[in-house]
Amino acid sequence: MTTSAETVIAPPRAQAAAAGAATVGRKQGFQHGGWFVAPFLALFALFVIWPLLRGIYLSFTDANISGDSAGFIGFDNYREALHDPLMWDSLGHSAFFTLLVVPCITVLAFLLAMLAHHIERGTWLWRLCFFLPFLLPSTVAGNLWQWLFNPGTGMVNHVFGIDTPWLTDKSYAMLAVVITTLWWTVGFSFLLYLAALQGIPGHLYEAAKLDGANAWHRMVHITLPMLRNITGLVIALQILASLQVFDQAVVMQDFGPGPEESTRTFVQFTLEQGFTSYRVGYASAISIIFFVIIAAVALARMWLLRNREEGAR
Amino acid sequence: MGRPGLNRRQLLAGIGGLTVAGSFGFAALGTGADALASSASTRVRYWNLFSGGDGYNMIAMLDAFRKEHPGIDVKDSTLQWGSPFYTKLAMAAAGNRAPDLGVMHLGRVTGFSPGRLLDPWDVGLLAKYGVKEADFNPALWKRAVIDGKLYALPLDIHVQLCFYRKDVLKKTGLIGDDGRLVPVTSTDGWFDMLKEAKKATRKGLQTIGLWVNDQNFQWWFFVAFYTQLGGTWFNADNTEVTFDTDKATQVLEFLRQHVADGYANPGMGSVGAEQFVNGTPFTWEGNWSVPVFSGAKLEYGATPLPPVFGKQATHAESHSFVLPHQAGRGGATNEGAHQLAAYVVKHARQWAAGGHIPAYTPTLSTAAYKKLSPQNEYVSAMDHQANEPKVWFAGSTGILAQRVGPIVVSSTLGSARPQAVARRMKGALTQLLAMKNPMDGKTAAQGGAAA
Repeated sequence: MTTSAETVIAPPRAQAAAAGAATVGRKQGFQHGGWFVAPFLALFALFVIWPLLRGIYLSFTDANISGDSAGFIGFDNYREALHDPLMWDSLGHSAFFTLLVVPCITVLAFLLAMLAHHIERGTWLWRLCFFLPFLLPSTVAGNLWQWLFNPGTGMVNHVFGIDTPWLTDKSYAMLAVVITTLWWTVGFSFLLYLAALQGIPGHLYEAAKLDGANAWHRMVHITLPMLRNITGLVIALQILASLQVFDQAVVMQDFGPGPEESTRTFVQFTLEQGFTSYRVGYASAISIIFFVIIAAVALARMWLLRNREEGAR
Repeated sequence: MGRPGLNRRQLLAGIGGLTVAGSFGFAALGTGADALASSASTRVRYWNLFSGGDGYNMIAMLDAFRKEHPGIDVKDSTLQWGSPFYTKLAMAAAGNRAPDLGVMHLGRVTGFSPGRLLDPWDVGLLAKYGVKEADFNPALWKRAVIDGKLYALPLDIHVQLCFYRKDVLKKTGLIGDDGRLVPVTSTDGWFDMLKEAKKATRKGLQTIGLWVNDQNFQWWFFVAFYTQLGGTWFNADNTEVTFDTDKATQVLEFLRQHVADGYANPGMGSVGAEQFVNGTPFTWEGNWSVPVFSGAKLEYGATPLPPVFGKQATHAESHSFVLPHQAGRGGATNEGAHQLAAYVVKHARQWAAGGHIPAYTPTLSTAAYKKLSPQNEYVSAMDHQANEPKVWFAGSTGILAQRVGPIVVSSTLGSARPQAVARRMKGALTQLLAMKNPMDGKTAAQGGAAA
């Protein structure tokens, strides 16, 4: 934790005095800062740390939902989970969803941001339109698209003059969830890109223009490199969010697993084990496995990024 | 940090906090406050899962009870149907915050730790309020008995029906002189019937709606026809799977043919009822669609699912009253719960309007019930119910349906071959039979669920 004493750049005359006072300041700083942080820490411990520890403990037991004393069964839950085809299927569905959503949303957010950035008039309206869906709760977005995709009465088939069974055929069901998600969440990444675009200094473009670079060159050699960090951020956030897909998928399939179990996500599988089959211990083990997978993805990304930065130097 | 001096802002914040806390407190006390407000001496808390028309009928019956028994204050709560309801009921019973009376699907009772999460009914008390075993279908009553004790009091059975539009089929010769659908006794006969019906069907409509993409309905239909073939699930001790893959294949092929021959459109799987209102000649639905179709003023009839394999059997589940476990169950509240359940079971004429068949058989022979149409056309279903096996993982929206339902759907829609699906079903049944009930750590064989 950095304290005020370290970060404040004192005028030269005060520096000598400050050197002596720094230790005192640090102590006082912690006292005050500590009290400010305490409510957050207390809640964080109560609602994150404690459940996590409890979950790890439960994953080694055969606890059920009734809260009876559970027996310790070692790694049995983990062994069973790793041999459970349903778990692998649902993990596959979440991974498939992620593979589709992440590139699509990144490209789409970039294109929309470019559009909004270069439009001269009514900019606020475009920004609002692209960002607005993101403000909807997932149940609203899911229900909305459930209607739009409805084979008999839905607008999607009507507009395109097709007869696609979006929600009832396993070839399309996950695609429908992906389309819903794109529409619903692209606004967030769009906003990140828009802010980054506005941060690119204008003189770079001017210099390039003087050198005779056309619009394509300017985008490839200035815009994209300047957006590299934000693209990395967008991709990382999207991967972590997409792996945890749950709500729009279950809303669109009325809390079922979708046609021939094609939209059952990993989170949904965990929920079913815990609250339909009442196997709290098993569900905890699955959650921990999922936690490890997500943590591994996040660490891998950090490692890749560091390597790239070192390579760039 | 010393004690803070209390300044105006903190004082206001404190008062605000107290107000919030107070409102929570009163929310928690709400039920108590209600009881105090009414002059009733006994309060019965009753949880159910009835919404829509069923909810309306249930509330009407409760109001009638309240009028007749002002000394008992019924506090009813309606929760969302399906898994969430059972989860809440289990947790409440485990945490000793259970309601005095609850409703469950009979098929789920076996897996609900009867004896630990459920208390048995006092048969003597029920008899005092006029409800006894002799008034029920014996098979239905037996399903509610576990380890020799009655754990569920059946209110109704609800069955899968074949609804048909009399006005659409009039020109086809499929409606007999009695104004009802001519009987069918073979699969060929049934498909001949659909062929005729298709000619009378308007363009843009399917010939029959049968929920081809729905795991619950497909499973219920499978259970019905598999029972018609005399198929069994497990041996008497629940130690062995006796599931017959040949019979299962026959059933799966039969269901599949509706889609393959173009009578049921997979794109319209979930809109069978709406299409029926628009003029589709047939739809297979639960009897809870009766108020919907009657409300739409349709000229229609409803029979149990056709006995295409030669024997009458249609899928049936049952709403039944249960006593969620309470550490100190007894006294006036418990008696009130018995009295209320007995009253509703005996006065289920209103309930029959929702399409359900009352479990209390004296109701079925009343003139008022016999006048109900189409109820009088399918009341016979009480005597040929096709049920899921009596094991801990069965029952409405239970593990068995969740595991096997989607497999049946894959066959009906044609993405998996019936023989392969039948084998997969047997595999799933074998797996489930070996599985321990998480509630008590016992397999089906150790569960002692035999009546």
